[in-house]
Amino acid sequence: MLNIENLRVSVDGAEIIKGLSLNVPAGEVHAIMGPNGSGKSTLSYCLTGRDDYEVTGGSVALDGEDLLDLDPDERAAKGLFLSFQHPMEIPGVQTMSFVRTALNAQRKARGEDEISAADFIKLIREKAKIAGLDDAKLKRQFNVGFSGGEKKRMEMLQMAMFEPTFAIMDETDSGLDIDALKMVGDVVNALRAPSRGFLIITHYQRLLEYIQPDRVHILADGKIVKSGGAALARELEKSGYEQFIKAA
Amino acid sequence: MSNTLFINPTALEAGLQAAFSARNKSDERHAAAFERFARAGLPNRRIEGWKWSDFNASVRALDPVEAFASDAVIAPSAFAGLKPFEIQIVNGRVVISDDERPEGLRCGVMDAMATIPELEAHGIVSLNVAMNRKALGLTVEEGVSLARPILIRHINDGAGFSFAQTLIKVDCNAKAQIIETYEGEGAGFYSHLNHMAVRDGASLQRYVMQETGASNIVHAMCAAKVDAEASFDQTSFSSGSALSRHETLVHFWGKDAEASINSAALVGDGRHSDFTSHVVFKEENCVTRQLHKGVAAGRGRNVFQGKFEVERKAQKTDAQMTANALLLSDVAEANHKPELEIYADDVECAHGSTAGALDEDALFYMRQRGLNDREARALLIEAFAGEVVGEITDEGVEAVFRAKVNEWLEAQ
Ligand SMILES: Nc1ncnc2c1ncn2[C@@H]1O[C@H](COP(=O)(O)OP(=O)(O)OP(=O)(O)O)[C@@H](O)[C@H]1O
Ligand SMILES: [Mg+2]
Repeated sequence: MLNIENLRVSVDGAEIIKGLSLNVPAGEVHAIMGPNGSGKSTLSYCLTGRDDYEVTGGSVALDGEDLLDLDPDERAAKGLFLSFQHPMEIPGVQTMSFVRTALNAQRKARGEDEISAADFIKLIREKAKIAGLDDAKLKRQFNVGFSGGEKKRMEMLQMAMFEPTFAIMDETDSGLDIDALKMVGDVVNALRAPSRGFLIITHYQRLLEYIQPDRVHILADGKIVKSGGAALARELEKSGYEQFIKAA
Repeated sequence: MSNTLFINPTALEAGLQAAFSARNKSDERHAAAFERFARAGLPNRRIEGWKWSDFNASVRALDPVEAFASDAVIAPSAFAGLKPFEIQIVNGRVVISDDERPEGLRCGVMDAMATIPELEAHGIVSLNVAMNRKALGLTVEEGVSLARPILIRHINDGAGFSFAQTLIKVDCNAKAQIIETYEGEGAGFYSHLNHMAVRDGASLQRYVMQETGASNIVHAMCAAKVDAEASFDQTSFSSGSALSRHETLVHFWGKDAEASINSAALVGDGRHSDFTSHVVFKEENCVTRQLHKGVAAGRGRNVFQGKFEVERKAQKTDAQMTANALLLSDVAEANHKPELEIYADDVECAHGSTAGALDEDALFYMRQRGLNDREARALLIEAFAGEVVGEITDEGVEAVFRAKVNEWLEAQ
């Protein structure tokens, strides 16, 4: 599914990702943990095609197709979704109209029909309920004045609507209350399927209790320094990163 | 009238002099106006308030003759759906539709103004006063709420210069909507002088749509006198032209009156839009809200100048001005000049001004969600300019303004 080979990424001339390799087979959920500043968000931006993230080496493929030559929206149309660590506010753009525009843009790019207004409203109401956002929030400008947790809920609402083939979740759990954490787990578990994959970036074991990861990787200084099963996350929680970084 | 007003007249000055001399019924007040113009000349960049909009430089290059009457077929207005009472001013010539008039509206051709004391130092206004003998006159009778909007279409499809005047009175407790469109593919200079009186308790909504072709040079001055408990609400849209300037001068002559002066400019490559306004608070407890949003692309230039002048007597004035510019290229320009001149001590006045590019973080976010670069940019620009459009209370007018914004975005 997602194959990253020896990836090197520089930002403003500084190398942040330093030869990272990672494979997430279809149907699996992988977690990435790692210290602040180790390059987790840089990896997620690079995978989704943000400008200014210069790939100086290596390759990234999704279902065998090279991703690095595609524009961000082309990657989105292929089903790549990023739940942002810090979701943006878009003043002057209504939430409903933005989500609908985005959904239809993806469908159009895939050669599918636009969703009808009625079907859209039904769908977004249903997903908003799951994400714990009331109707009033849907009528506001996109994320404007939303709390940190509400913005994360809005990310989950979109993930639930778009049903991506591969989702990267960059610290979706940070800043969430206990109910919201469980909701994130529910959204991921509902989407889990043999044809889908997830990369979950997190600092805490907690979310992983709701979402059993198939593999856990430790990212330090731009590289995967250790990979293991779900037990690795529990081990980290107890002992911290130090031993793994030293060992690497 | 002597021919010695200009020493070494330029071709334009000679042409204007000839056109003035050819007018009949010039009394000494018209002659005085022409003399004021001759002394001041067309405003140039060295004159305060005209630094960014040099009419002298642009108009000088035109054919120094009056624009011809046009017989071009005029397409229906974008506002036709609102069933307005339509008046056309084609290259300065007034054509009133023989359509049935809304009840309570008087409309006809009347004597033009021979002077506007507050604007005697204004070169273009002086020229306009000198050149016009007749004006379009509109009166909304006392207590009447006009059932249909008035649409004045200024159509400039000629070359050379043309002038027109409109005198509007909205009598006590009356209500009216006036839409003005500036249209046409001509390459001439058009000057329009609008004089409005909004009487006690009256309400006037004025909408301006500057959408001429790229070669037009337009100057429009709207001088509004606003009396007690009256309201004057204006929303303008401009896509600029070779040079276009829409000026608004508001005098609050009575207490407890209100004005809003909102404008959106979407200025493409090579175009120039200028919104200049001056609000004079002469009496207590008047409120003004002003919002300007300017988008400039390519080598477009967007000028905004706003001034609030609060006289000593005008206590409890509440006035706020905001101007935001969005620059879509490295060579696009935004020139803002917000000004407060306050002589009263118990007032609340503020202004704010910003300029910036599109938010790259927001753009990436939208693209991650599937919008392509063009769609993402268009949505952000629409949201930016949309704040002005969103202030329009009339749904039908709002829809036309929104369509104009989208039309502009699609043409980019
Ligand atoms: N635009 C940038 N310019 C310069 N340095 C950058 C830029 N973006 C990221 N970096 C640097 O790259 C490194 C990795 O940052 P990144 O945001 O990927 O870390 P992270 O692992 O996501 O951290 P956290 O756990 O705090 O979210 C940091 O040292 C950061 O300062
Ligand atoms: Mg991060």
